[in-house]
Amino acid sequence: MNLPTLAFLAAILAYPVIYAGYLSVHKVGLAQLRRGEFPFTGWENYGRVLEDPLFWVAIKNTLIFTAITVVSEVVIAVAIALLINQAGVWTSRVTRFLILLPYAIPPICNGLIWSFMYSFQFGFLNRLLFSAGVIDQPINWAGNPDTALYAVTVPYIWRTLPFAIILVHAALQGIPRELYEQAAIDGANAWHRFRQITLPMLQQIIAIILILRTAFAFAVFEEILAITQGGPGDATWVAAWYSYKISFSPPNNFGMGAASAFILALMIAAIALVYLRAVYRRVTL
Amino acid sequence: MFKLSRPAKLALHVANLVVIAVILLPLAAVLLGSVQSEKALHADTRRVLPLEVTADNFVVILTQGAQKGRIFDQATYLPDNIKRFYRAFANSLIVAASVTALTLLFGALSAYTIARLRYRWTLFLLQANIVSRFVPAIVLMIPLYIVIRSLGQLNTLGGVIIAETGFLLPYAILILAPYFDAIPSELEEAARIDGCTRFRAFFHIVLPLATPALAACGVIMFIVSWHELLIPLILNARPDFMTLPVVIASLVGDLFVFFNLMMAICLLALLPTVVLVMLLQRYIVEGLAAGAVKG
Repeated sequence: MNLPTLAFLAAILAYPVIYAGYLSVHKVGLAQLRRGEFPFTGWENYGRVLEDPLFWVAIKNTLIFTAITVVSEVVIAVAIALLINQAGVWTSRVTRFLILLPYAIPPICNGLIWSFMYSFQFGFLNRLLFSAGVIDQPINWAGNPDTALYAVTVPYIWRTLPFAIILVHAALQGIPRELYEQAAIDGANAWHRFRQITLPMLQQIIAIILILRTAFAFAVFEEILAITQGGPGDATWVAAWYSYKISFSPPNNFGMGAASAFILALMIAAIALVYLRAVYRRVTL
Repeated sequence: MFKLSRPAKLALHVANLVVIAVILLPLAAVLLGSVQSEKALHADTRRVLPLEVTADNFVVILTQGAQKGRIFDQATYLPDNIKRFYRAFANSLIVAASVTALTLLFGALSAYTIARLRYRWTLFLLQANIVSRFVPAIVLMIPLYIVIRSLGQLNTLGGVIIAETGFLLPYAILILAPYFDAIPSELEEAARIDGCTRFRAFFHIVLPLATPALAACGVIMFIVSWHELLIPLILNARPDFMTLPVVIASLVGDLFVFFNLMMAICLLALLPTVVLVMLLQRYIVEGLAAGAVKG
């Protein structure tokens, strides 16, 4: 019964990953692809990647992007989950109904929508701020090298937040009411109840969100493609964008692309192991 | 559970309104952008609401460039990919539906064995799936591109379907396994005592009981596949086989395409999954939670 799964895992996941490792130590360009021979080059691709200043810029940007998105997601997700958990407040029920909407938006559309929001000349955000009288000069949100990286975190957080909110909300509903009632009798105020009961009970789910979102944010691609294409300059080059550009735009250095992707994969694999340890340690399901 | 004071309630209302506004803001942008002309967007760059509302952006996309409408009257250039909207929409539908069916079928078989049989190798299979979920698409793209290129299969829908199925199968298994674990095994044991094979017990007893699980997993698979960009982008360069996200990505960097047209095609691309999410919310919420935390 597991044959199809094993076949797919082998063909689409295991084999390509191993093959990527193989390519990363060979010289693979368009000329080599045409001839079908990849000369062995040892660690040369890795050397060239590691010597490339752009790669280090990409790694730095990826780390900043990941840190900002993951931390804000956890904080905002806990806040919004508490908010929509207020069943007695009717606006909370409306929020709860709408909360999943960003999950429905294709990432590439999300990127384009925000590139319209951010546009210097025609952008929706500037229009809103003009109408509200907040600004009198347009703001170049994503076109300014100092703010571009922060600007692209917002659409990513917007799109991926529902996932985190749903997990926290599900965990909230699993906390026994009696705990809160007992604490209230003991005279604990709302803040104390949150610190002493809610946060400890959310610890595991927060760990899960941290790990999953870190791994996925490391590989952010669509929003970068749609909003900044790595620019302005190298301000928003991230790791996945680096591998993509090195491989699929001239001079198509697939070997270097594979090497850089492999470095990214190793970083994510480390995170995956932590996840496996933390969540499925005793795998009884 | 606790009585809220009036100011507290007011604060919560305000917080909710802020959250709702932030959720709806990008959707307002796509909607308002898609019903204007380029001229109107140029004319007043400080105006939120459109000067005049027009459906021409949608008309030009839905008639594949045959009817240009007033706002494209003088346009000499339309991106070719926009003229293939139906083809792309159909491709996306075929890919997403096939990937959903295949991941459900294979995923259910594997998730069931993981939930029922407690051997060392099923444990290993589960762990392999968890690790696989973390493999970033960009790592697979380069070898997949080279392999599929050498097979001469670069431009086929089949290639995309196979690649996406393999890519999503681990996630499907992780979503389904906790559900199967929660189905009591007494029923199938009774059936097996009566001479039913494990296979038949699975298809006739377990699967019908697991309908909510299949719905939850299926809708998530459909959405993720509908959204997938990188796999079809790299495997399909020929317009006839592009999926909708690839067509939309091809507009990026096209100097002659303006926001009004982009927002219109984005709106058309996001509508199917928005409808799905609004209709099947309960299943998606359950499925997302099941796929991230052990049951």
